[in-house]
This record gives sequence, C-alpha cells and structure tokens, in this order.
Amino acid sequence: MFGVANLTQERIVLALALGLTTVFSIALPGFLTAENLLSLVRSVSVLGILGIAMALVVIGRGIDLSLVAVMAVSLAWTLHMVATGVPLAVALALGLAFCLLAGIITGFLIAYVEIPAIFATLAMGTFIYGFGRYFLITLDVVYLPDAARSIVWIGSGSFLGIPVPVLVFGGVCLLGALFLRYVKAGRYVRAIGDNLLAARITGIPVRPIIVMQYALSGLIGFVAGLVTATSVASMNIRVANSTFVYDVILVVVLGGIGLSGGKGGVRNVIVGTLLIGVLINGMTIMDVQYTVQNVIKSLILLAAIVADTIINPRDEQTAQQGDI
Amino acid sequence: MKTILELRHATKEYRGVPAVKDVTFTLEQGEVHALLGENGAGKSTLTKMLAGVIAPTAGDILLDGQAVELRGPSDALHKGIAMVYQETSLVPSLTVAQNLYLGDARWFNRLRGIYIAAQQFLQSLNFPVDPTALVSSLGAGQKQMVEIARAVHHKARVIIFDEPTGTLTPEEKHHFFALVKRLQARGVSIIFISHALEEALQISDRITILRDGEYVVTDRTENFDRDRIVRAMVGRTLSDELYGRADQRRARPAGRKVLSVQNLSMGTMVRNNTFSVFAGQITGIFGLIGSGRTETAKVIAGIMKRDFFHGGQIRLEDRPVRYRVPRPAIRDGIIYVTEDRKLEGFFETMSVAENIYVAAMAGGQSRSSMVSMSEMRQLAETWTKALNIRVINSDARVVELSGGNQQKVVVGKALVQKPKLIIFDEPTRGVDVGAIAEIHQLINRLADDGMAVVVISSYLPEILHLSDRILVSRQGRIVEEFTGGQADEETIMYAAVH
Repeated sequence: MFGVANLTQERIVLALALGLTTVFSIALPGFLTAENLLSLVRSVSVLGILGIAMALVVIGRGIDLSLVAVMAVSLAWTLHMVATGVPLAVALALGLAFCLLAGIITGFLIAYVEIPAIFATLAMGTFIYGFGRYFLITLDVVYLPDAARSIVWIGSGSFLGIPVPVLVFGGVCLLGALFLRYVKAGRYVRAIGDNLLAARITGIPVRPIIVMQYALSGLIGFVAGLVTATSVASMNIRVANSTFVYDVILVVVLGGIGLSGGKGGVRNVIVGTLLIGVLINGMTIMDVQYTVQNVIKSLILLAAIVADTIINPRDEQTAQQGDI
Repeated sequence: MKTILELRHATKEYRGVPAVKDVTFTLEQGEVHALLGENGAGKSTLTKMLAGVIAPTAGDILLDGQAVELRGPSDALHKGIAMVYQETSLVPSLTVAQNLYLGDARWFNRLRGIYIAAQQFLQSLNFPVDPTALVSSLGAGQKQMVEIARAVHHKARVIIFDEPTGTLTPEEKHHFFALVKRLQARGVSIIFISHALEEALQISDRITILRDGEYVVTDRTENFDRDRIVRAMVGRTLSDELYGRADQRRARPAGRKVLSVQNLSMGTMVRNNTFSVFAGQITGIFGLIGSGRTETAKVIAGIMKRDFFHGGQIRLEDRPVRYRVPRPAIRDGIIYVTEDRKLEGFFETMSVAENIYVAAMAGGQSRSSMVSMSEMRQLAETWTKALNIRVINSDARVVELSGGNQQKVVVGKALVQKPKLIIFDEPTRGVDVGAIAEIHQLINRLADDGMAVVVISSYLPEILHLSDRILVSRQGRIVEEFTGGQADEETIMYAAVH
C-alpha cells in the first residue's frame, strides 16, 4: 500500500490497532459487537479529549502536566457550587473561567517569565490541586447534586444510538483539526513548535500565542471534566495525583506527535487513543490484571518509539543533510 | 614519498543522492594537501569519511596500504587520524587541560597533574594558552590551538582541517601557517579545506579539486595558479561573472534617508555605533566575525532582548523607534534576513508554500484570522516563480531542499512581508554558485526598485560586487565609509582589522 519511507509512526500504530482488533475479534467472543465497540470508544473518549488538549500544547513545543488537575478541580468546584445553591449556569461559567485563568497564568509563566513548560505546569498542577482542595471544596470526592441533573446527558446520554461522550470526542477532534489547519493562530502554534526563533523573527506574536495555547488546553480540559463528572455522577479530585496525565501523554506520543514540537495533528491523537482503547478493552475482556495492563501499555509505547526510530532515523546526518 | 592514507572509488549517498561520487584521493606522508571546491562540492563529506565520522556507501579506505574500517571518530583518532572542525568540538565548560585529556582519561585524574602535563605539552608546541582557562573564555584562534594540540597529543599522523582560517584574524592566521609547517616537519600529513585560494596556494604541496561531488584534478601546487583553480572549481570561468569588478557599473545615488542610527550601544558587542541607510541603494557592511555587525542589525530589527540595550537612538524615516520584539519592526517595514537559516530562518517541517504563507500572515498582509488555502497557493506560486525556487514536489519540506533553495525560501519569507528596509546577513553563506548569482541579481533588483538594502558579509568580493556604499565595522562600531568602486580589497581589509 505504501513504501517503507512512508511508514510513519502514525501508520505503524494504526496498523497495530487494526491488527489487535482483528486478533481480538477472532479470539474474543463478544469483542466485535457494535455494543462493545461503542463502549470501547466511549471508555477512552475522555482520554482522547484530553489527548487533543495535550496535542495542541505539544505541537507548540510545550507540555501540560497540570491538565488533569485543572480538569478535576474546576469540575469539582462547579459541582460543589451547584450543591451549595449557586445556579447551574453560573457555576459552569465560573468553572470554565477557572480553567481559562489557570491556563493563562501557566502560559504567562512559560511565555513571559520564561520558565520551562515542564516545570511551570508541574508546579501549577500541584498548586491547583492544593488550592482547590483547601479553598474551593471540602471533600476529595464531590457528587453530582440533583440541581445538576439537567447536564447528566453529556456523560450518560446517547444520540442516534451513539453515546454523547463519543460525539463530544468527535466534536473536539473536528474543532482541533480545523483550528490547526484553518485558523491562523493554529498555524502559528505549529510554527512556534517547529522553530521558536524563526517564528519570532518572522513576526509571529510568539508570547500571546503560547498563552493562548495553554488557555485552550484548560478549556478543553473543562470539556473533558464535564464528560467525566456527568458519566460517573461525581468528580474525584485525587485523579490529579494519579498517573492519568501520563496516560494522556502516552496517547499523544504513541500517535506520533513528537515531543520536539511542530509535528503531527489530531489524526495522531485519534490513532493513539484507539490503540489504547482496543488494548484496554481486550485486556479487560480477557481479565488481565490492572498492573499487568500497565506493563503491556508501556511495552507497546516503547515498541512504537523503537519502530519509529528504526524506520525514520533522526541522526546527525539526516539533521545536517543540508550541508553535504 | 610514501602514501599514508588513501580513499579508493569512494561514494557517499544521502537518501540515494550522492554527495561524493567515485572519488579517489591519496595523502602522502608529511605533505600538506589542500582540498578545494565550492560549497556542496563534497569536501566535508570526503574528509568526514576519512575521519570516520560517516561511513562510505561504497569504496575503500586504506591506511598504510591496508584496507581499514573506521568505526567512528574515536576509532579513527586511535588509528592516528584527527579532524579539526569548523565549529570546534571542544567542551566549553571544561578547562583547556581537561579538554586535551578528554577521552583518554583514566578512572581518576588528578587535576594538578594534568595541568602540569598540559602546561609542558602546550609549551613544547609553543602555544600561548593557559591550561587552566575555561575553553568558553578563549578566542577562536586559541580554541583552534587547543584542538590542534589535542590532535597532536593523540599522536595523530593525519590531521584534517576543515576551514581552519575562517574565524581567525590575520595575525592568528600567520601563526597558524607557521604551526602547519612545524607539524609537517614532524612528519604529520595534513589535509586542508579552504575557501581562500591564496592560502591554499601559499601553504600546500598538492591540491585536489572537487566539483559537484566528483573528482576533478590533483596536481602539485606549483602547477596551479588562481585562474586554473577557479576554472577547475566551477567548470567554467564563472568567477569573474559572479564577482566582477564593482567599478564596472556606477554606484546608485542615495535616495531619502530611511534609517539613521546614533550612538547605539548594546551589550559588549555594539559600542556607540552611528550610521545611516538610504533608499534605492545597497549599503554593504563589511567586518570580521565578532565585529558587531549582526548584533547591530538585530537591535535595529528588534530581535535582541531589551536587557542588553544600553542606549542610543534609531530613527526610521525620521521617527524614533525602539522595538522590543521583531513583530512591530516587521509591521513598520524593517526586515532582517538571518545569517543562520537553520537556526532561525525557516520552519523545517513545513513546505515552501506554508513557510511563505506563515510569513505573509505574520507580516499582516491579510486581516482575516482564518487561513485561505487559495491565497497560500497563489503566494507560493508567485514567489517560487519570482525567486526560481526549485522543488521536486510542492509538498516537499524545506529541510529537504538544497542550501540555495532554502536561502531563497528565507528571502521569499522576508519579501512577502513587503519591507522598506531589508537587511541581508551573509545572504550567500552555504549557497551554491548558481543560486549566489540569482540572489545577487535579486538584491540588485530590490535596490533598483527603490528599497533600502543592507548587505552584511564577511566575504569581501561579495561586498565589493554588490555595494553602492561600503561601511566597515570593527569592534562594535562603523569605523570607515567608502563609496562603491572607490575602495579596493586591501583598503577595506586594512580598515577592518586595524
């Protein structure tokens, strides 16, 4: 179908996902049913939505380790406010504003104070978790109050037989892809990720774009939080201390978005999410232990990276092939 | 004479494109062998094969008549072949002595011990370098001495110099040549890559010339003169056509004053600099590396961070301006075309069209916040045609293009932003001859069309050929001004170094 030169990591991972799907379909009864496939995609839709947020930041040569903390604390706060009598719309608006503000502060620290993204977001993530836990809510787990029943459809409903979380994931993917391709700011994000110095010299407003990138990440984090909270009818902010954010990075890197920036797009996130989804679903049907699942997940990631390195070597020679 | 190192029918391909094709090269014991050719002729590739940095795709390397396989630079060094690079490969945060003994360190090195040993060793070579100094504090010439000392320390029988004199002052150059003679007297064989033909003629015993990756000729140096070398290098008498005497045409008169710089100071690189630039002519700025030319340009275009700004005034069309980032400078029509296109010139994962379109967007040519694919295609078509950018297919990433085409993309990115004042910093560095001619033509056309053009170059023939006015920069300021055609190479060089 395509030559060796075209075997990008994205295609390797897609082939791997399709291969696994085939194997599972044959080996596991009940895998290849419409119901199971939908629940498969549904189970990874939050991961996928967060993956899009992370991808936008990583394409701009950043990383957002505060993503899950922002998602968890903002939604927990929103639910808490609703429970204490704040109107739902106001609570949602405040939660969203919280996400945007957190993103803007993070972006400011990175773009203007020039702190490396990995440290800035690590610190912000811890800060947001601690701040939220101490000042905004009283318990680690906030349950969905009755006053918020009207938004439960986001996490639990379905439309034309497709679960709403899957539709939300699709919508975020579509918007993300359109943003990267058709909005100038999206092009700037990619340019900055490709070569920050060149972006600056070319006259791209580098700093505002970096701030925007983290604000967007916070915004998408809020959407992911909405889906989570409404599908399990609660928000447990301890997720901010789990390895969930690394799963998000795994999806992004697995799909083939280089951490060095500038490369990849929404398609890569979808492919990475699908592989993880198929894998987790299959292993759950097979009743594989959670810890073993983690080992397998990480081995798959290593395999994808190794395969990519072998097929697309990035050594001094290719890097310098301009001056032969 | 005994042949010490030999390359037989060597070919090196990158992604199926040969950089060196079927080249045979011999090096004799104790000779200085100059390797000449234009940018992209394959000199660096050839020497990298000899130094074990890259492996030939086909062909053999023979050391003392025995076929050898070099498994890497350290293996080559072990066998007595050392390479001294254009950009030094020293570790800047270590001292001179530590760098000298790097790689053959035992488990524990007593610092005092290696300082004493290094001191004696450097003295035996007659190098005035302090072994306890940090390499980052040394000048270019001293760094090179340390590199050479390291090669000698490793008992290298073959030392390869890649453009050793490019960053040296005339005095250091003199010293370097004396050193080469001393090494030669010790029986060391030397390969010497250079762009300066006079140097090659002066110092070498034999000369080999490559062109487009192919072997052209090897002969004893006394059988060569400048003309024969140039003919062999370019395959036609292109040199005169490229860098013909400047006085064959009249200098363009100065138009209105576009930029005036008064008493500009910045960091340690720009000191109290004052000069003006006029529309409709080319202002050439000549200076050695480190003379503050690039830094001055970067302050004007807002690229330098403000922390380094120490005062002075910049006026654009009589309006005082001070840019903290490049964006407003670009909006006002000041555009800087970088000397280092890989570092800050283009977006390597993007196609030519995307590169030019990103620049057009950033330059504020269209108000909308949405991307227009048709506008992108149309801009790309216009500029690839206008600049004669050659791409295999329109989706090719810029990083896959040749140096000349990459440079044209960088120039296209600048021109699409409609500059009033354009500053070209080393516009033809790492660019093949054909593209040099095209870029020069383009620069001339821009000036004819009334744009204020500044060309910064450390290559004198380029300055002489292009400039209507020549400014000479030294130690962070403009020290001398000449009208094009009035000055010759010696006068300008004299102003730049004294």
